[in-house]
Amino acid sequence: MPNFRTVLRWTAVVAGAAVMLVPFLWTVITSITPNGSLAGGPTLVVKDPTLAAYRELLDALPMWRIALNSFWIAAASTLFQLVTGSMAAYGFARLAFRGKGLVFGLYLATLMVPMQVLVVPLFIEMKTLNLQDTYLSLLAPSIASAFGVFLLRQAVESLPRDLDEAATIDGAGHLRIFTTIVLPLIRPALATVAVFAFMGSWNSFLWPLVVIRSPEFMTLPLGLSTLQGQFTTDWDVVMAGSVFSILPIAVVYLFAQRHIIAGIAHTGIK
Amino acid sequence: MRSFVRRAAVPVIAGLVLALAACSQGSATRADEPVAGKTTVRYMNFSANDGHEKDLDAIKAAFQTANPDITVQIETLPYADYFTKLQTAVAGGTAGDAFELNYENFVTYTANGSLAELKDVDAAPYKASLLEAFKADGKQYGLPASFSNVVLFYNKDLFKAAGVAPPTASWTWADEQAAATKLTNKGKGVWGDYQPISFFEFYKALAQAGGEFLAPDKKSSTFNSDAGRKAAEFLVAKAGKTMPTEAQGAGTPDFDSKLFKDGKLAMWHSGIWMFSGLADAKFDWDIAVEPGDTTKASAMFTNGAVVSAASKNQAAAQKWVTFLTSSDDMVKARLATSWELPPVADTDKVASYLTAGKPANRQAVFDSLDATVLPPVIERQQEMQDAVTKELSAAAAGRKDVATALADAQKAVDKLLS
Amino acid sequence: MNRRGWRNRGWVLFFLLPSAIPLVLFTAVPMVSSAWVSLHRWNLISPMEWVGLDNYTELLRDPATRDVFAHTLLYCAGYLPLVFAGGLGLALLLNQRMPGRAFFRAAYFLPVVTSWVVVALVWKWLLNPSSGLVNSLLGALGAPQPGWWTDPAWALPAVILASAWKDLGFVMVIMLAGLQAIPQDVLEAARTDGASAWQRFWRVTLPLLSPSTFFVVVISLINGFQVFDQVYVMTGGGPSGSSQVVVGQIYDLTFRYGRAGEASALSWILFAVILLITAVQVRGQRRWVHYA
Repeated sequence: MPNFRTVLRWTAVVAGAAVMLVPFLWTVITSITPNGSLAGGPTLVVKDPTLAAYRELLDALPMWRIALNSFWIAAASTLFQLVTGSMAAYGFARLAFRGKGLVFGLYLATLMVPMQVLVVPLFIEMKTLNLQDTYLSLLAPSIASAFGVFLLRQAVESLPRDLDEAATIDGAGHLRIFTTIVLPLIRPALATVAVFAFMGSWNSFLWPLVVIRSPEFMTLPLGLSTLQGQFTTDWDVVMAGSVFSILPIAVVYLFAQRHIIAGIAHTGIK
Repeated sequence: MRSFVRRAAVPVIAGLVLALAACSQGSATRADEPVAGKTTVRYMNFSANDGHEKDLDAIKAAFQTANPDITVQIETLPYADYFTKLQTAVAGGTAGDAFELNYENFVTYTANGSLAELKDVDAAPYKASLLEAFKADGKQYGLPASFSNVVLFYNKDLFKAAGVAPPTASWTWADEQAAATKLTNKGKGVWGDYQPISFFEFYKALAQAGGEFLAPDKKSSTFNSDAGRKAAEFLVAKAGKTMPTEAQGAGTPDFDSKLFKDGKLAMWHSGIWMFSGLADAKFDWDIAVEPGDTTKASAMFTNGAVVSAASKNQAAAQKWVTFLTSSDDMVKARLATSWELPPVADTDKVASYLTAGKPANRQAVFDSLDATVLPPVIERQQEMQDAVTKELSAAAAGRKDVATALADAQKAVDKLLS
Repeated sequence: MNRRGWRNRGWVLFFLLPSAIPLVLFTAVPMVSSAWVSLHRWNLISPMEWVGLDNYTELLRDPATRDVFAHTLLYCAGYLPLVFAGGLGLALLLNQRMPGRAFFRAAYFLPVVTSWVVVALVWKWLLNPSSGLVNSLLGALGAPQPGWWTDPAWALPAVILASAWKDLGFVMVIMLAGLQAIPQDVLEAARTDGASAWQRFWRVTLPLLSPSTFFVVVISLINGFQVFDQVYVMTGGGPSGSSQVVVGQIYDLTFRYGRAGEASALSWILFAVILLITAVQVRGQRRWVHYA
């Protein structure tokens, strides 16, 4: 029989989860309510639920194309960030060089100026390089992120040094230590960075808005924003679009969190 | 795992390099790719967004048939993002050859020399007042593309149930207030009136009360006057009495339209763009010209099409904006889909609008045009709008009295003008 | 320099350049140009006009600058403790075995991925002064019912509450990854030594989590000082500017008011503040952050 504290804990977790799910449920409910509206707050019972809003959404926008676009861009920027971030993390945590603190500080400094103010100069730069309206320009600001570098550096720093010292004695070089010892051990952190990198790109709005001109490069947030009119908005369709854009990230997270849990258990050290 | 990582490292890095190279390739239909023997005109707009993309495409197709040597490339963006994109594009030198501007932003762009003067414009097709609106220093910098105005919507059933005579074109503020008080039934959640407390409602109410927003030389503001206080008082007094307050939900998206559609709102100051959304309302409704005070004044919004000063194809761009704003194809497309109204002088061309369905009294839309008032515009438009709205909301929430709020607003606007 | 020194330098470049090149090209270069812009008057659509340091002196004199920094600071002061304590608590709870653990982790993460537009509407509804759930509960308890987002004194706390709630899952995910890295044998050893759950938490878990904690605090403050989305959609900076924050001001100045020069100057003032705060934390970390 489960003891009292376990039950209490479980109840708290369930109650908390219910509160967390409300906005998402409201999104789903509004999307299946005929002429769904946001005014008046959420209801739990839907009279005559309908998928009309989803049909309208698919009529109004080439949703699958847009979603696929967003997916590839998010996947590419995730891959780039994992590679560039983990390498830099290793460099900062395991290599000794002069001015390391300063260089790391410069990395962090790139997080300290808001995107809102960088958008215009970056756009002009892209124009000068003749890269505006390309996939590269969409990806550019997210090929490397100091956020990922920092998170991964913390993970590498936490690894016991005797592991790579032992490998060095065995004659392993930095590349071997990095790929065969460090990378497998920081899988939880890699999965975490992957989730945030994917999410950041998937939701990013301001930069794609500014840099993209051709409809074939359109991403989900851009597509969804066109559903809002100057004076009126069909909220059921907007909410259907939101569901469409939330579900894939939820799936990515569910997938990644298995790695976050798996972490240590698979890698041999306890 | 180990061997996997090692084997994967080389192909992964090679793949990344290849991917980077591939990504820098433009798309097949890259926007600035020239087509042999043809001039391409890029046109950026917001008003076709969310429902009228196909109508704009139809106008474009008609234009291209008439001008086989010109290709029009349309970029449609939602209004909320349009100016962010447009400004960045202008800054980077990639703005369209032609683009849409609403009247409020037109002055900012002419003041900064971003627009090309349109020469030899045939004035005949346009409603004169609208054409005039897109002039600066006596030069034509834009052509009116469409207009829409604000009228008083009312729920006939609620009026009947309360035994109140429905609004007429001769109503004044006093009539509106008296009816709103009678129609408000908070117990049943029914409100008599709804009019946003904002810059746009204020400048109009000010005109209705006989006041002027700006001095004739446009170097100072003059709305902190008896008429201004009267107008602000009229708006602010509604909140909480005959109209829901912010705390009761006013101002959240969708709030007023849902209230009206649910049959819980008797009178509603809103634009003719709401007609199609109300087609399936389950009660009887109609419209009237907005009530005035010492005089009548209806708010009008107009969008124009302009040619970029940086464009290399100004002649072709002007051809396109002329077609877009005055052709019969445009009139047909706008009327058929109850898009915003075409800016034409010839009223016969828009006659079909009167019988296009609910509301019955569509004549009121044209009657409103007898006395319209365009928003006051200055170079620092958005700051002015925000400052006025902020002070009025403070008054509506009871944080300031109306006199102080207006005085503060005038001070802020004067600073923007200096 | 000897051969080993050169070889080491080669490795440093090998590991750092893949991230350094894009960061320099696509972040540092625009940063430098924005510093250049900050010395000009520029509305994006007409040519720039040199004004030297006028934008900075103007901003430092303007009481609005002081207000937006005060609001931002207040936001961080309220947000950080809430989101950190909540996120850590959640991570500890969900690190234990329980039925449906994967589902709960996903549920708590869902708000992180939900758009602010939706979340803001829900919270405006929950915190509605006259009919919201929160005030109904407070009323039933006989507690005062604040005006939340309609009251200048309560608008910012309303934003803080919603933000902390939304970001709980973010902190949870990072802390979970941190908890996974704690070797089980250390905790086991403490248990056999007779340490209570409470002692194990304070003496073992928390110190071993300190790299993750350090990360969360530094990043939350960097992001917190750049808070924007939630303010924009929940209060729009109102009522009467009472919840306007620094980046909100930067956005308005750039894209709505055509004052990009001042916006850039303001963002460099913000940069200086964030840099200072981060530097203090990096300096201080030696005292409490334990790496393996």
